Amino acid sequence: MFYRLSGVYHTRYSATRQLWPIPADRWQIGAVAVLALAAPLYMSDLYLSSYLLPWLIFSAATLALTLLMGLAGQLHFGFGAVMAIGAYTSIHLARAGVPFELALLAAGLMAALIGCLFGAAALRVKGLYLVMATLAMQFLVDWVIVNVNAISGGAVATLQTPQVSYLFVPVASLTARYYLALLWAAIVTLLVLNIKRTSFGRALVAVRDKDFAAAVIGVNIFKYKLLAFFTSSFLGGVTGSILAFCFYQAVTPSQFNFDVTIQLVAMALVGGLGSVIGGFLGAGFVLLAPIVLLNLIARMTDAGWLNVSTTLMAHIPLMLYGAMIIGFLLFEPLGLAKIYDNARKYFLVWPFRHTQS
Amino acid sequence: MKRTHPSPTRRSLLKAAALAAGLGIGVVGVAQAQDKAPIQFATLMDFTRVYTFLTSEYSQGQQDYIKLVNMEGGVDGRPIKLIIKDHASYPERGIAQYNEARSDGAVFFDFLSTPVANALMPRANEDHLPMIAFAHGRADAADGQKFPYVFPAAAIYRSQAALLLQFIDEHEGGLKGKKIAFVHIDSPFGKEPIELLNKVSALKGFELKLFPYPVPGTEQAATWTEVRRYRPDKVIIWGAGPGQAVSIRGAVGNGIAPKDIHSVIWLSESDMQSFTGDTVVGLKRFTAVNTGTSPAILKRIVDKVITPGQGSGDKAKVGTTYYNIGVASMAIAVEAARLATKKLGAPLTGEKLKQGFEMLKDFTAEGLMPPLTITDKDHQGGGWGRVSEWDGKQWAPKSDWSHAFQDVVWQLIREDEAKAKK
Amino acid sequence: MSYFIELLINGALTGLMYSMVALGIVLIYKSSGVLNFAQGAMVMIGGYAVWLLAETGLPITLAIMLALLVMFAFGLLAERVLLRTMVGQPIIMIVMLTLGLDIFLRALGPGLLGTEPKHLDIGIGMAPLILGDVLTNRTYAVGGVIALVLIALALLFFRTRLGTKLRAVSDDHVSSWSVGISVERAVAISWGLAGLCAVAAGTMWGAVQGVDWSLTALLFPAVAVVILGGVDSILGALVAGLAVGILGSVIPGYVDSLVGGSTRDVVTSVVILLTILIRPYGMFGREDIERI
Repeated sequence: MFYRLSGVYHTRYSATRQLWPIPADRWQIGAVAVLALAAPLYMSDLYLSSYLLPWLIFSAATLALTLLMGLAGQLHFGFGAVMAIGAYTSIHLARAGVPFELALLAAGLMAALIGCLFGAAALRVKGLYLVMATLAMQFLVDWVIVNVNAISGGAVATLQTPQVSYLFVPVASLTARYYLALLWAAIVTLLVLNIKRTSFGRALVAVRDKDFAAAVIGVNIFKYKLLAFFTSSFLGGVTGSILAFCFYQAVTPSQFNFDVTIQLVAMALVGGLGSVIGGFLGAGFVLLAPIVLLNLIARMTDAGWLNVSTTLMAHIPLMLYGAMIIGFLLFEPLGLAKIYDNARKYFLVWPFRHTQS
Repeated sequence: MKRTHPSPTRRSLLKAAALAAGLGIGVVGVAQAQDKAPIQFATLMDFTRVYTFLTSEYSQGQQDYIKLVNMEGGVDGRPIKLIIKDHASYPERGIAQYNEARSDGAVFFDFLSTPVANALMPRANEDHLPMIAFAHGRADAADGQKFPYVFPAAAIYRSQAALLLQFIDEHEGGLKGKKIAFVHIDSPFGKEPIELLNKVSALKGFELKLFPYPVPGTEQAATWTEVRRYRPDKVIIWGAGPGQAVSIRGAVGNGIAPKDIHSVIWLSESDMQSFTGDTVVGLKRFTAVNTGTSPAILKRIVDKVITPGQGSGDKAKVGTTYYNIGVASMAIAVEAARLATKKLGAPLTGEKLKQGFEMLKDFTAEGLMPPLTITDKDHQGGGWGRVSEWDGKQWAPKSDWSHAFQDVVWQLIREDEAKAKK
Repeated sequence: MSYFIELLINGALTGLMYSMVALGIVLIYKSSGVLNFAQGAMVMIGGYAVWLLAETGLPITLAIMLALLVMFAFGLLAERVLLRTMVGQPIIMIVMLTLGLDIFLRALGPGLLGTEPKHLDIGIGMAPLILGDVLTNRTYAVGGVIALVLIALALLFFRTRLGTKLRAVSDDHVSSWSVGISVERAVAISWGLAGLCAVAAGTMWGAVQGVDWSLTALLFPAVAVVILGGVDSILGALVAGLAVGILGSVIPGYVDSLVGGSTRDVVTSVVILLTILIRPYGMFGREDIERI
């Protein structure tokens, strides 16, 4: 009823290979797109600027990471550093007067270059050791940023983003910043969705599942691992720069430290590794759940239902954040994407109870 | 590898629905009537991550003082409500909470976290909402022309270092020819006074050497070995939290007399608890706000809030350094709100509160602080403070309220601004 | 020259204190192939446990003894509740699980007990140990000795009957099962032992810096130690601890004042990176790293 399959006849191969072959999915995508495009019209500034905007940007970052971790199977615990490289590159270029469009491109390229450098070094190893190598990258990049005054901006260590315009639209008002973030999130989403359907994506999946086996069937694993690092770091770098320009409007080293890296990995995992919808769901969940919980607890103490010390109250969301990561891994290791998938399948065959696949 | 799931069940749907509901709660906005409602102050701080050593006592002081103010009739008959939240020093969370508090009608902000404050200073300016960065935050916030809505309202770090140097100059046999070791945490906060120290060192003719130690500051053994070899006459330690006790232990363990150690403002009674007896008696610290419960304002808090059992935390913490700093920060804000409503009339807005801050003249919070005068140019309020000495039980004042090398401090602020403009 | 020797000795002692934390990680990895990112948080909980028990008026030695029991039980519990259900999941899931545990514990301890650093007095004075021209911190010296004892005990333990079983388990889970060794029990015991190491490290580091959440930051140097030494080698934890400690003391001792910034974290990061590039399985680790 909801996902009507009868009457959907594909007469061409291209029709069966399109991104969303089921009309109901297309309807939903269309509705979400319209809602997202119209958000500045019906949403208050508060929800637009402090929930929707960071959600979009962090979703883009999660998608970039999930491309590397979920699709190509290369673990990365230094993605905060990748975004930092992008943010700092673009802000310095923009301050030097380089057009923002070029600065964004350069941010991506620089992040990709340095990301590849570490990636290439890390390609000798995998699994746990890759985690360590990228972790070392995170700390090295952090150190360089904090200690090289030319990068961090000296003792004050906060760089304000200069006035820039993107395609002749000044990126200043909330609406403009929102649309730029939306545009970027849409680009990343389409890119990752499509990469999954190309030979490049299939090669990445082959490398992920077993790299030696992939080599046997003729996939150049070195090339594809490096390409995965390159693409993902490029997207991460641009996202870092979008985050700085559209959301923070300033750059400090702590915006991209190890905690942010963990947050990104948590987003990718909670959402479901390798899933695009999971990227959005995971980013939203990890980003917004602590805020919602905090508000909830604050309301409860205000109403007198809960009497705890300020210190304990402040720690409860962090506890729940940890517990949430543990809970997802224990009870739903495939993440929110799997929950969404279950729901979708339920409606797909409704009113029956079983799918064939 | 992969867990295979049976077809979707009712349970998983329930899970999805529960998640959706959980997210939905945040979207229910609460509109509040503005005229009769309380004045809202937002104290969005880091209770859980970097500033844990400080926040709970500081917030306790703020809460107790606001309770006192409300008992005594509030400001202009309106009570004050504190919005307290934990942003864990994450700028994105701080920004979200700031936006939310702003839309709830908060007119005053305190972030107590350098990264969050730095990220939000330009926004507070744009939105015309005053924020306090009491004795912390970046130096150029002292310039009321550049950041009209940001108030350090106490000596910024450079003024603190300047005052310590002046104390050495005046009370400990002069600076000339001395060897001073500056042992600091390797972060923007730790590096902030370096430029000032260099300038004053050229001015006064002392030798300065820098000894950075890594974040989070809990392991400094190698640093102190190096300091001892340098044989400094005086040591200035610049850190915060557990690193401070480690610094002192390192200094004393390496034969530096406690009387030669001088510390930044962040060294509290609980840091000193780990030193029993008189091992560190004589250690000096910059002080912006009197400690103890003897100032009149603290006595009233004890009588009216703490003794009736209304206190918001551990009684033993009342009157500690950080508690009193919390009281002072709120006393300044409340006084500014009073002045603003008296002179400019209700309802209180951000613009009026800002002008209220700039009306503060020789405000001492009933003997709690040095006389504070804020103008539209100087948001630091003169950079006043004093040096206190640890006497084994508490911090005893060793000098009168004064300020030092303010010309150098302001020269540096101008230089920074010129650099930023380039 | 004496400056160098002092840096060397102090670095070595610090390194041994890192080894204490690293030993816990090695014990767990040896039996189950899980890299425990929550070991830093376990050290913190160990420190809190000792502090709590000492606060009740118990003498400090008794408090430490009781804390050892508590943390052994805690290790068993963590393994039973969390890790056992994750057997066979991809490595990223398990890494993230221990990180989640780390976040949870980091909030739990300070949230319940207050955030200010707790002072842990284990009766070691501040007066330094003086050996000629060289000064060392007494607490570090005691910590170094305890680390050596723990490592020696761990090495001996693997020669006992139970230890032999653990070695078998670390070789191969399936074949251990087939000869009647309870793999689950062996893994659980290794988590309990890691809990014991956490108490030792929590007590000594707590005496150095006070007990608060920043104890969890010990994870980073400890990870550097296990990477350099080999994640499954106890001897590696010792040698690499010494190496990381000495490098992290001598190099910053000469370089810091030149670059005007603290270089210890850089040294540690470079050690990790170089080890992974040149010899990913560490100095003493086994080469079959694809076992996971």
